Formats: sequence, C-alpha cells, structure tokens
Amino acid sequence: MAAASASSFIPLKPRPTPRVKLGAPQSFSFRRPALAPARLRISCVAKPETVEKVAKVVKKQLALPAETLVTGDSKFAALGADSLDTVEIVMGLEEEFDISVEEDSAQSIATVQDAADLIEELVRKKCA
Amino acid sequence: MNPHYCCLSRNFSAALPPLLPVQLPSRMETHLWYVVPDEVKSAPLLSKYMELLPQYERDHVLGFRGDQLQKSALLARTLVRTTIARYQVDDHLDPRSLRFKRNIHGKPEVEWETKDGFCPPPLQFNISHTSSLVACGVTMNSLIGIDVEEKRRRTKNNILAFAKRYFTAHEVEHLNAIPDSELQQQEFIKLWTLKEAYVKALGKGFSSSPFNTFTIRASSGIAVETLDSPQNLTNNWQFALLELMGSHYVAICLERQETGGAGKALPIKLTARKTIPFVEDELVSGTNAVVTIGGSVTQF
Repeated sequence: MAAASASSFIPLKPRPTPRVKLGAPQSFSFRRPALAPARLRISCVAKPETVEKVAKVVKKQLALPAETLVTGDSKFAALGADSLDTVEIVMGLEEEFDISVEEDSAQSIATVQDAADLIEELVRKKCA
Repeated sequence: MNPHYCCLSRNFSAALPPLLPVQLPSRMETHLWYVVPDEVKSAPLLSKYMELLPQYERDHVLGFRGDQLQKSALLARTLVRTTIARYQVDDHLDPRSLRFKRNIHGKPEVEWETKDGFCPPPLQFNISHTSSLVACGVTMNSLIGIDVEEKRRRTKNNILAFAKRYFTAHEVEHLNAIPDSELQQQEFIKLWTLKEAYVKALGKGFSSSPFNTFTIRASSGIAVETLDSPQNLTNNWQFALLELMGSHYVAICLERQETGGAGKALPIKLTARKTIPFVEDELVSGTNAVVTIGGSVTQF
C-alpha cells in the first residue's frame, strides 16, 4: 500500500479498502463467464478455502509477498495483473483445481471472488 | 538530482504551463503518444497530474496497490486527457473538463458536450500501459487498438503450453518452429500484443473474440484471419508492430479506411511523440527510438 509519507509521490491519503468506481481502462467485458463442461472427479471445496487458494495462485503469478492482503474483493488489475497475467492466473487455477475454464471466461475474471465463484460452480458440477 | 526537478517545483507552485497544441490527425494518420514513467520523477508534477482527474478517476488510481502501479495508472489517465486536450477540439479544451463514457461493449470513448452548432470530431483513441511505458494512439475515424509490452516479458508458464491452450494451431506451429528460446519468447510477446491490439480495436470485449478464434499471420506483412472464415483474410484491419526505445513492442491495429489501387492497403502514416505532459514533447518518429518491425508503416 502507498505510504502517506513526505517521500510518497501521492500526497493524498490512500484508501484502505479501495472501491474502484471506473473500471480499469483495459477491462472491457462485463459478461458473466460461461461454464465449462466438468470432468469426472469428485472434490468439493468450501468457500473461504477457495478464495484462499485463488489468492495464493494470484500472489505467485504477480510475485507478491506472501503477507500481501488479498481478499475476495481484490481486483486482479489493482494488484498489478495485466491481461497476460490474468490468463496465466487462470491457467494456474485450472491446475490447482483440476478444472477447465472456457477461453473467453479467462479474460472476463476481474476479482478474486469472480474466480472463486467460477471455480465453485465448476467444482459443484463435479460433486452433483 | 535532476536539474529539471528544481525548475518544476518552482513552476508548479502555481498553474501548469499550457499544453503544446497539435493538429488533429488527418483521416489517414495515426498519432502515437507515450510517457516513460521512470522519467517522470517530480512529486509536485505528479500531484498536479492528480488534480487534473475527477474524483472517481483519482479513486481508481489510488485503488492500485503500491506507488509504481498507482504512478502508471495516473500517467495513463493523464496521458489520455492531455493528449485529447491538445487537439483543441471546441477551442479551449481543458484536460480536466473531458468526460469519458463506455460504449455498449465497455470500450472507453470521449463523451463530447452536446452544444448547438458543435459537431464532435470522430476522434478515436486507445491506451495501453505497463509499469515501464504508457501509450495512447489517436486517429480520426479509424477504430484503433494498441498494446504495449516489454520485450523481455517472461511468462510463468511454458510458452508452447500457453500457446496450445490459448492461441490457434497455426500460431502454435509458428512458435514451435523457432529453435532459439529467446527468439521464441520475443515472437510470443509480439503475437500477444498483436492479438490484444486487434481485440481492443474491435472494441467488443475479450469475450466476443477469444484468442483461439483468430490467427495473426505475420509472414509478409501482418494480417488477421478469423476461424469462421478461414479462406477470407479479414481485410478490414491493418497492423503495425513497432520496437520502441529498443525495450518495448507496440502493436497497433487500425480499421482500414482506404485502399490504394487494386485493393492494396496503403501504409499506416505514423507520427510518434514522447511526452512528459506540460514539460516536454519530442517528435521521435523516423528516429531509432521507433523502429517498424512489422506491417507497412511510413513514419512522419
């Protein structure tokens, strides 16, 4: 987080839980991601664990320190992910959760929660 | 300390100097403007840039984690506002007064004031930024998409695994055929920026054109081929690939406006300027700061 010190380039006080009103200039799509066909493997994951695992994959891709606060609300773009990072994060999530995410969904995931929700839906299909 | 810094802190205690005005690009021209964040070091100047933004854009900038990300987000908003303001549409356009909206697919556009007798120009723009470069492309009329990336950018995943997952078979084949891993990495980045630029030019969001539904062919010239009409190279779009400052690739995709004889595309007429808004502007097209590495481009 930016420190409001004399040497900080932004003299304004940074917000602790940023609410982004204008979407990141590079994110255009607002469509809900479509579902991919599920594979035959039983594994049900609880919500907080999913968010935690997604956060871990995100931190690894963006080379963020382990103690960086990443929650469901955290936007990939705000953490420094560009579109290439986002696609790589989805590849990492596919490996982590043994799922397959449709190509167009990869680009439309904006927050950690978006990713966790999508994963939950895909995994739920497997449990059903 | 940079000698510039002392002058700037004196000058910026009051108002910012005026922006150098520029003529709108002609129908056939593309203007490329860019800022190198590492060269913008003055805290007072960056504060002044922040003051140009409406509250919701300041919030957006501050929403990025860490100084470096906030700085490039700030410079992106500053670059787009000051660049469009330079064209002096409607006489005294203040970068502060510009309003933006999104089209139905989410692509950002200028929201011109509706006034009697004022006919807004068909100005098109697109921005792209990394932590080390912020760029804005401007045209009159022609849809534009741009994407910038560091040449040295490395993927965490293996390139071919990534390409097999997200690119088309032809593109995988093209990458696979490159024996040198360094060159392969660079080709991958070039392909990525070209594909991004195309989708951004289309302006319909990434969901409407997943990367594995179109191929970028870059053998002689650069062209896009959509999978649903494979025999039909999509002639509506033309591309330029530039190497900027020896360190970055810049891909530009434009809607084709006119053709030369026998349907042949005319080269892209490009004017490139490096800028630190309110401080300095430098015409760099035709110098070795901007090298055309793909597509048909004439630099002015």
